[in-house]
Formats: sequence, C-alpha cells, structure tokens
Amino acid sequence: MVHRTPPCRAPEVAPAPASPEQAWLPYQPGDGRPWNLGVAAHLLRRAGFGAGRARLGQALEAGPQGTIDALLRPEADTAAFDRAFDEHEGRAAETGGEAALRSWWLRRMLETPHPLQEKMTVFWLERAAADGARAGEARVLLEHVRLLRQHALGDPRTLLASLLRDPAMLLGHGGEAGRRSRPNERLARHLLENVTLGPGNFSPEDVHEAARALTGGFVQGGRYAFVPREHDAGVKRILGREGNFSGDDLAGILCEQPAAAESLARALYRWLVADEDEPERALLAPLAEAFVREHDFGQLVETVLRSNLFFSARAYRRKIKSPLEYALGLILALEGMVSTTELAQDLAALGQELFRPPSARGWAGGRRWIDEATLARRHNLAADLLRGAGRYGDRLDPYEVARRHGCEREDSAARFLVDLLLQGDADLDAGALLQAAQEAGGNPAATLRAFARALARVPEYQLA
Amino acid sequence: MKLRSVLFLALMLPFCEAPAGAQEEALAPAASWIPEDAIFALEVLRPAPLLELLCGERTCARVTSLPAYRRNEGTKEFQDFLGLIKLLEAKLGTDWRGALARLTSGGWTFALCPGGAALLIIDGSDADMLQSLHEVLLGIARAEAEKQGEAERVSSSDYAGVTCWTFDGQGAHALIGSRLVLASSQAALRAALDLQAGDGAATLATVPPFQAARLAALQDAAACLYLDLARLRRAPRVQRALEESRQKPLAALLLAGISEALRDSSWLAGALRLEQDTLVLDVTLCETERDPEDPAAFALPATPGDGALPNLGLPRRVAALSLYRDLARFYAAKDDLFPERTSELIFFENMMGIFFTGRELTGEVLAQARPTMRLVVAEQEYDPAIGTPLVQLPAFAAVFELSEPEEFAEVMEEAWQKALGLINFTRGQQALPGLIIDRVDHGDTRMTVAYFSSAGAEERARLHQRYNFRPALARRGEHLILSSAEGLARDLLDALGRDAREAPLPGADTLLELDGGQLASLLEANHATLVEQNMVEKGHTMDEAEAEVSTVIALARLVERLELCAGSVQGAARFRAAARLDLAAPAR
Repeated sequence: MVHRTPPCRAPEVAPAPASPEQAWLPYQPGDGRPWNLGVAAHLLRRAGFGAGRARLGQALEAGPQGTIDALLRPEADTAAFDRAFDEHEGRAAETGGEAALRSWWLRRMLETPHPLQEKMTVFWLERAAADGARAGEARVLLEHVRLLRQHALGDPRTLLASLLRDPAMLLGHGGEAGRRSRPNERLARHLLENVTLGPGNFSPEDVHEAARALTGGFVQGGRYAFVPREHDAGVKRILGREGNFSGDDLAGILCEQPAAAESLARALYRWLVADEDEPERALLAPLAEAFVREHDFGQLVETVLRSNLFFSARAYRRKIKSPLEYALGLILALEGMVSTTELAQDLAALGQELFRPPSARGWAGGRRWIDEATLARRHNLAADLLRGAGRYGDRLDPYEVARRHGCEREDSAARFLVDLLLQGDADLDAGALLQAAQEAGGNPAATLRAFARALARVPEYQLA
Repeated sequence: MKLRSVLFLALMLPFCEAPAGAQEEALAPAASWIPEDAIFALEVLRPAPLLELLCGERTCARVTSLPAYRRNEGTKEFQDFLGLIKLLEAKLGTDWRGALARLTSGGWTFALCPGGAALLIIDGSDADMLQSLHEVLLGIARAEAEKQGEAERVSSSDYAGVTCWTFDGQGAHALIGSRLVLASSQAALRAALDLQAGDGAATLATVPPFQAARLAALQDAAACLYLDLARLRRAPRVQRALEESRQKPLAALLLAGISEALRDSSWLAGALRLEQDTLVLDVTLCETERDPEDPAAFALPATPGDGALPNLGLPRRVAALSLYRDLARFYAAKDDLFPERTSELIFFENMMGIFFTGRELTGEVLAQARPTMRLVVAEQEYDPAIGTPLVQLPAFAAVFELSEPEEFAEVMEEAWQKALGLINFTRGQQALPGLIIDRVDHGDTRMTVAYFSSAGAEERARLHQRYNFRPALARRGEHLILSSAEGLARDLLDALGRDAREAPLPGADTLLELDGGQLASLLEANHATLVEQNMVEKGHTMDEAEAEVSTVIALARLVERLELCAGSVQGAARFRAAARLDLAAPAR
C-alpha cells in the first residue's frame, strides 16, 4: 500500500538584502524572514557538516542567533573531546601514518561538539594547501592540522606566523631549507598569491624580498629549526615597507594589506555564503574593513553567519557540496557512524583527499566538484553508504532513524527523510520515489534505504 | 539466504515437546539421499563427543565470558532469544543440551551440490520430539508470516508420499520418522526424496572416495568430510585463485606442494578426530604421482626419510614455519614456473645482484642454503633502557642451514651490511634516522646488530615503531640466522646451541605452528591501537571496538595451539591440522 506524500514545497527564505549595510546586519526572523527547518539546516550545513533531526530541532527551538551562539561557543566539554581525539590522532599518526590520520580527522568532524571550528580548519587547510606527500611523517601533518585548528577562528597574523614555522607548510611548498644564498620564492609566492593577497596584488620583487625574510628557517628531523647564520639580515622592501624583516614581520605586513583583507573576505564569502556568484567589492568592504581593524577571523565568521545575507536567497542552496560535505552530511543526518577509513578512500576518488591538494591553489571547489564522472561516483558513494551491507555494513539505517523520531509507517518515514535531507526544497514526487523504493526494497528497512539513496541523488541534495 | 534458513531450522531443533515415544523406521544412510555430484559433504558420525566439546559446560562458560557475548546479552534481541529458550525448556521439561543430543544422536550430514543447492540431513532418536518441534516452529513461522502480510509463504505440499514444507517460500524441509531433511530449495528436497525412493540414480554413498573417507572415519573419527576437487576447480573463482598462486613467486614458494596437490588431485577426504581437547583433521588427497624432475618439485624431499625439520622451541614464540624448499632448484626453474617476469622477481634479482656482486645467484648463493629452513615469529621483550614502542610488532627471523658455512659466512656478512647501507641511504633521502651497525657477542658467537639511536627519545613508553627493529645477523655452526630483532637472534642462538639437530619429519614439506596464548599476549600489548583501528575501520564506538578486539583476543587464547602439516606419503598428498583448545583457562 503506497501512501502518496504531498508535493514538495518551494524553499521559504528571505530575499537578498538590498544594500551592503543591510547585508551584514544580524538576521532577525519575522515577516518574510523565516526561521524554519530549511533555514536551520542551511545554517548547520554551512557552519558545520550538517545535522540530524534532534540537532535541527534544537536549532529551531534556539532561533538563529541562539544557534550561532552555540556554534561559536559550544556548551559541551570541548576540551575533554579534544584531549581524547588528540590522543587517538597522535597514536594514529605514529602507527598508521597519513591514511590513519585522515580517517581519524573524518571521525573527528563527525563527532566534534565544535563543528564550526572543524569546518574553518578545513577552510585554512585548503588555503595553506601543503602537499602531504612531501611531509615525510604523519606526525608533521598532525601538527599542521592542530595548528590550523588552534588558530582557525583567531588572529590570522598569529596563524600566518605559525604557518611560517610549520614543518608541513615548509616541506609542502619546498621551503624546508631557507638558505640565505638561495631564498625560496615558491613558498613566498604561495603566501602572497594563495594565502593572503591574491593574484595581481604584489610584484615579483615583493616575492623575492619576502623569500629573503623567510631565510634561516629549516626543517630538521620533522621539526622546525631557525639557523641564524642562514638568515638574510639585510634590509628588505616588501609591499612598500622597508626593514630587516623576519618571517613574523612578514606575517604582520601581509595581514595589514587591504588586499589581504579583501582576499580573505572574498574567500570567506565563497566558503560560507555562495561559491559561484562574484561578490561586489562594496559588499565585501565592511568585512575587509573589520578585518584590517581587528584582525579577528572568528569575529568575521560570526558577522557572516549572523547576517541577513547569510540567511537570504543569495546564500540558500547557493553552494555545491564538496564530497566531504556531501558524505558527512548524509552520515550526520542519519545519526550513524561509518568506517572513515573507507570514507577517506571514497572521498579521494571524488577528488577530495585531505592533505593532498591538487595544486598550491588547493581545491578549486564550486562547480568543479561535479562532472559526469564524479556525479556518478557520488551516487555510488551514497548507494554504498546506504546499502546495508558491504564496505560500510549496516551502520546507516534510515528506517531506524525515522522510527526513533516517531515515524513507524513507511510513508511517514519517507516524509521524515524528505524533510531531513531536503527540507522540501526539491520539486520531486516523493510518492513515486517511495513506490519505486518499495519495489526495490522488500521490507521497510530496505525500502527506506532505497528511498534515501534516491533522495541523495536529487540535484538539490548536491547543494549545500 | 537459503542456507541461512536451513541453518536456522537446524539451530532451532532442540526446542520441542518432550517425546511421547519413538517409532523408528529403518532409513537408508543419509549419503544415499545426496546426489553423487555433491561438491562437498560433511558427515558427523558421532555427534556426542563433538556436542560435548562445542556445547559442553566448559565451552559455554568460555563463550559466555566473551566480551562480545557480555555486550550483547543486555540487548533486547538477545533477551528475547534467551526468553524463548527458557520458555521452551520449561515447556519441554528438558534442557536444550538434552534435546539437542536426542534430536541429533544419529548424526548430521551436510552437502553442497552444483548450483549452490544445500542439503542438511539430521538423524535423531525421537520422532515424536521432532514432530513436536516442527509444530512449534510452524506456529512461529505462520504467526510471523501473517504479521508481515505474507501468510501464503508458509505452505506444504506432498511429494513422493512425503509432506514437504516451506516457511519462507524458498527453503524446504521434510520429516521422515526421526530424520529431518532440510534443503535450500524445493527442487533440492525433491531430488533427495527421489534418491531415497530409489529412482536408480547414483548417490554420494556410491562414490568410491567418499566411501573410503567414510570407512576411515568409521574406525575412530567423529566426522568425515569429502570434497570433489575436480568439480570445485571448475568454479571461476577457484580457478583464478589457483592460477594466481601459480604466478606469484612468493606464493608459489610458500604453497609449493599444497597448491600442486589442490590443482592435480580429483578429490580430498578427511577424518575429524577428537583427542581430549584437541580437534585433529587428517586430510588425504587422491594419489597423484609427483614427478621428481618437475620444475615444481623443489619442495619434494630428495629421499624418503627427508623432510622439513621440527620447529625450534623459543620463548614468546607466536608462530613458526618449517619448510623443505630447494631454493636453488626453485630459482633455476623460474623461467618454467613463471614465464612472465613479474615486478617482484625483477626487484628480487636487482637486489640480489647488489648484495651478492660477482656471484652467480643460483649456484653460488642459493645453493649454499640447504632445503631445510625455518621461519619464526615471536613477541618481543624491550630493553627498559631504550623504551617500549607505542605499537609492539613481533620479531621475525629466518634460520638457514648452510652447505659451506665457513666459506659463505663472510659473503653473507657483506651482503647484510650492503642491505643495511641501502636502507640507511634511502631513509637518509627521506630525512629519517638511520641504523647504526655494531658487532656484539652472544656467548662464543659474534653477531652483527644494527639499531636506531634512542638518544633524545622523549617518551620511553611511546617510542616510534622503528624501535621494533634491531636487525641482526648471526651464525652458529652451519646455521645462519637473519632476524629483525637482536633479542630473537639471541634466543635462536640459545635454542640452536641447546638442542641437537632433530631428525626431519619424513615426507613433510611444510609445518606451521601457532601459539594462541602468545598471539593473544601480542594482541593484548597492542590493545589500544587495535581498538582505535577498529573504530575507524568499522565505524564502531569505542565500546563496540573494545568488545570486538577483546573477543578476538579471547578466541586466540581459546586456541591454545594450532598445527598444520603438509607433505606426501607414497605419492598422496597429506595434510594434518590439529587445534588444541584451551577450555579450562579462565576467561580474562
């Protein structure tokens, strides 16, 4: 017996703000500014990796600003969690190398009480774009991630200065031997072009002088060492500033540049708001100004998340999910835990192998996440996760989740899943999908697995 | 799925009404109900001792102490299951062990036929009890089917005067007196009924190798097994596996004799015996003449009294493997054995070319090793002055017997130091610490040891895993030892000095021994790492992973000793597997 579910409704979100000033003002639900399941899920997707029904319920209860408060300053004991996971990751790095570390990081993303911090750690990982293949030891990569996590929502000057003493960063960009006689321009160019200023905002001379400032830094036995006699103590001219600059000075100079502020604001916009439209400079200006004034990246993130713009049609479902977001979102929604060892391999096949960026520019993201081949692989990954057997076993059980939330019948469980995964955003005939799933299924658990697989293939589900 | 149904019904056998008296009919042996083309058959002729071993009080005590059991006993499903057992026991007035004994006292026969058809025939001594059991199960199946709106899937039909039942629309079963016949399909059940009706078709009982296996088993075995290798080899997956083992030099070397026997023999027969707490399986393959001149005969002992040596007794030994392999002959026949030059063969030749510069590999190097070689794996003891690695890997070593030990010792020393140099060079390129080569004495033996410096190591209880390696080269008399760890090399030197050379095991070419207790100790030492690995590999919670790892460790402890021996007697390949179970040890 098939019970037809009602047609899915169109998303209800606020229209795009009319001016830059309005754009960054805090969002207050009200007339034409909804706070519903779809908008709450939007927030939890962007500020983390997604959520299950219970967490969505909490968010609906707390309202947007309350939910953002909790995202920025979780009530849970994050220190205890971090201690336990630091221990797991430390052992994994020693015993299983880079692959084990990757598995544990994915596990951490799925279990963390502070998803925003982890999401921003990935943001910085992409910008740092250190090639893990050159790191030698997984311990070096572990320290790299810890550093990024520690400063992900802090002062970018401190982060940048730390990165310039980070073995993974130096090894990953060929900067492991900062000899005075041969300054490493590759690392310097990467810092200027990809991490801070962006292309076109510096000259070849700036690169050379920045490389001179970095001399003296070496990686020895997987650890950073500063060798004073190899440091070029001469005067350098970088971006109009002149002096005997060190790496720390360079970090400060770069972060003071308006171009760096705009570049980071743009990157943050693409990370949290929308990855295809090109934001106007005027729209980004308030963010860039706040950055130059306060150098508080966490504050910048908070401003974006709380903003009218973030909750508007200009942001809603305006990002293409990365493979990481696609897979973790599905797992979190279905309140399960899977083999992250297998998952890491599948994400690599989809083009997102953590610690192995395709180039110094990191992952291109956006539309480039999806082509014919990767779309088919995404569908295969969803099918594998939801098969109920095989590599991922039966760790994800959509029917069980639906029952846990009071939906015992197949049709009500199907409606539950549509709300959970798509929040009614897709124009789909859920009844027909359920009927097809029933034919493929055989029992409620198998039917709901097939139904969830079908939902994960819907175009709207590819959007964050 | 069909097989699962068969097994489910078999497991539910004991729960039935108390017997009201048995009316026995003489039935043909179970093998006469099985088609002659059965690929595999297992006949349990004396169920009582096996039941005692597998379901006895001691085994149950061990099983119920397993972490996985303890973890599951609190679940609703498990409680429901236990409730059902208790209810049935109360209703029957007997415990489940007694019921099981009466319902299976005549033996069990399981067979797999081409196309995946499975047949399980169970002979008991109480037809009334069997009938009652069926009534109970029928009631449960009907209620379940009706609940799911599929009442029609539980049905019966008559065939050859016998009522054939199905509970799930797929599997089928029938009761004939005190015999229960379970089949994976209606067709398989009907085929069995046709055979018992005497339709003239040949049955497994008439197959000579099966008869021989049964005859041997009847003497003192609890069970016998039969495998039609000729039919099994037609399966593409089996073909592929055999072909792959032939193409891989290392697999061909280790599995020599075994893979040839499986490839050439048409059948395999085995007898399972129970000797106190030890399960012994003796397997014979059909006689196939092995040509001593064949390129693959490098594992064939040169003389009738020759064979692999007994393994060396060592402290903390986890596993030991003794082989009879003529390495020079193996390598000389490589072009015949492996027409395609694989990358591993090319790598091996390149390395040997570096290590033994200027020497012809077959005649001047490999011929120095006599065919008797022994490999050993042992848990390590770590020097407190150095520290303990976070992951404790076992040490492993190879012991060769040299033809000309005095002349070859220096050649080997040079090759060993070249290998260490190569390792150091490669690690140096990766900015990793290298090995320091040293010469140390053990009694009157001088050996070469290489080690990683531990100077500056911060956490002595969490050293890097490279500290598991302290490679050593040593020679005592004609014995050459290559070991991953100095400690194991010293233990081997002691063992070789202590024990006189034991006589070879005539006809044996492979002897593998595994010490479950020591394996458990090694796993226990890496418990935290294994749990963490389990968590990310399977998506388990820490509790789930703990339970699974602890269960594996407990099972390893349960198998006190496992021994596998392969060889040939008068042209027929023989295998012997013996597992001694430690049922008495307290669960930890």
